[in-house]
Amino acid sequence: MAIVLFSALLGGCSQQSIEKESLATEQSVTEEPERSVLVTAEEEPESGQKETLQGNSESDAEDEPLTDVEEKSEEDEEDEEDEEDEEFDEFESEFEEAKQEVSDPLEGYNRAMTTFNDKLYFWVLNPIAGGYRFIIPEAPRRGVRNFFHNLLYPLRFVNNLLQFKIANAGEETLRFVTNSTIGILGLWDPAKEWFDMRPHEEDFGQTLGFYGLGSGPHIVLPFFGPSNLRDTFSMVPDNYLDPTGQRKPLGQTESYEAEYGLLAIKTINKVSLRPGEYESLKKDAVDFYPFLRDSYEQMRNKQIKE
Amino acid sequence: MRKLIFLIIFALVFAQPLMASDQGDVKDLVERNIKIVMGFIKNKSLDKETRNRKIIDSMAPFFDFNFMAKVCLGKKYWKPLSKTKRKEFTELFVKRLKESYIEKFDLYTDEEVEVEAAKKVKKRIHVVTYLVSKGDRMEMIFKFRKTKKGWKVYDLEILGVSIVLTYRSQFSGFLKKNSMDDLLEKLAVTGSFATSGSKK
Repeated sequence: MAIVLFSALLGGCSQQSIEKESLATEQSVTEEPERSVLVTAEEEPESGQKETLQGNSESDAEDEPLTDVEEKSEEDEEDEEDEEDEEFDEFESEFEEAKQEVSDPLEGYNRAMTTFNDKLYFWVLNPIAGGYRFIIPEAPRRGVRNFFHNLLYPLRFVNNLLQFKIANAGEETLRFVTNSTIGILGLWDPAKEWFDMRPHEEDFGQTLGFYGLGSGPHIVLPFFGPSNLRDTFSMVPDNYLDPTGQRKPLGQTESYEAEYGLLAIKTINKVSLRPGEYESLKKDAVDFYPFLRDSYEQMRNKQIKE
Repeated sequence: MRKLIFLIIFALVFAQPLMASDQGDVKDLVERNIKIVMGFIKNKSLDKETRNRKIIDSMAPFFDFNFMAKVCLGKKYWKPLSKTKRKEFTELFVKRLKESYIEKFDLYTDEEVEVEAAKKVKKRIHVVTYLVSKGDRMEMIFKFRKTKKGWKVYDLEILGVSIVLTYRSQFSGFLKKNSMDDLLEKLAVTGSFATSGSKK
């Protein structure tokens, strides 16, 4: 019985505290700027370690007393720290569990290649994309992006099927039909805008992951950026399903100029639609290479799970 | 006995809605804040500095920046730190977090944010939102934990990339080869909000 009452009490408390929270949000926003500065100035040191005690008793004084919290404020500082430690431990293990060790025997090479790609971006890609962005308005650039995306339909279709995502494969087909016709060769995306049919991005790397294949060592590819063994290998079948890809068997003397040209346009167009994104990412990082590596692997794992 | 059974049924019936309303409240909180932030962004009469300050002020009540700093550094490195070092690290790191969060609003000028759902994940609540920009849809998850002062964000996940997780591995990688003072120095340098990315 005690447990039941306790849980009910807890539930009540938490609700109240949320109401308080949201009130606080509104206050700090709607009132004068001086006031909102005050609020944050108070907030910041409190959420630190020990000062939390003060903060609690202050805010409680205004509201009805919550017996639960008051008892705690009578406890020693040490207890408070122990409790925080316990919570710290809990989060420590939560993030340790979530962490995936990235296999990285090629770190030296990968770091060098990251630097190479970085130079390539700043010296070549970014200036060109900047000029391109300056000349061509955003709407046609979006059209180009949509056009290439629409052409990748076979890739998404096959990989959805390979993962038994039949409904998604069907929706992809409907999207392709809609966008290629009403959307005029895929330049527009009426499937999404009018019929709320969203793309289901799947590639062969995700399919292999779906069947339980691990990522293998992380590899940074020249021009393409972060990848791993699984995804690098998957570029072969992916390329085969990409109408703009290089499909002629190797060894034939035919040149790939047209295909590389298309790839270049695709890439420049993509960068031109996201100016400053790379720079911002780079600035967020304390150490850029592991940041890129972990972000890539986390993102891929998420895509595989979906 | 009958009383007990009654109480159990009572608890079962009422516990569910209580939990659900926790989720609902947290979701409301996010929704409201996003609306407020969007208002600031679309309000062209605000200069950038005031706008940024207002955005940060509106987030401060439910973002637990100090806790994030602690978890990002990890227990192994946090514990041996002195009080002053802890404070120094927290200040530098929180400044950095705020700046990089704010900077994202300069990048995505035309975005809309859809708040999809609040999910209960063990003891936490995850609020799933989507940032829609130029036809792309990016998933962004606000992760809340319960504190004595209400539900607070302790991590943000963008396209499956957890901010806390990436900082943790960067810090531990860096600190294997360098000292804490090196890290503080590095944070102080790169943390200064020198130039914002190229504008559209």
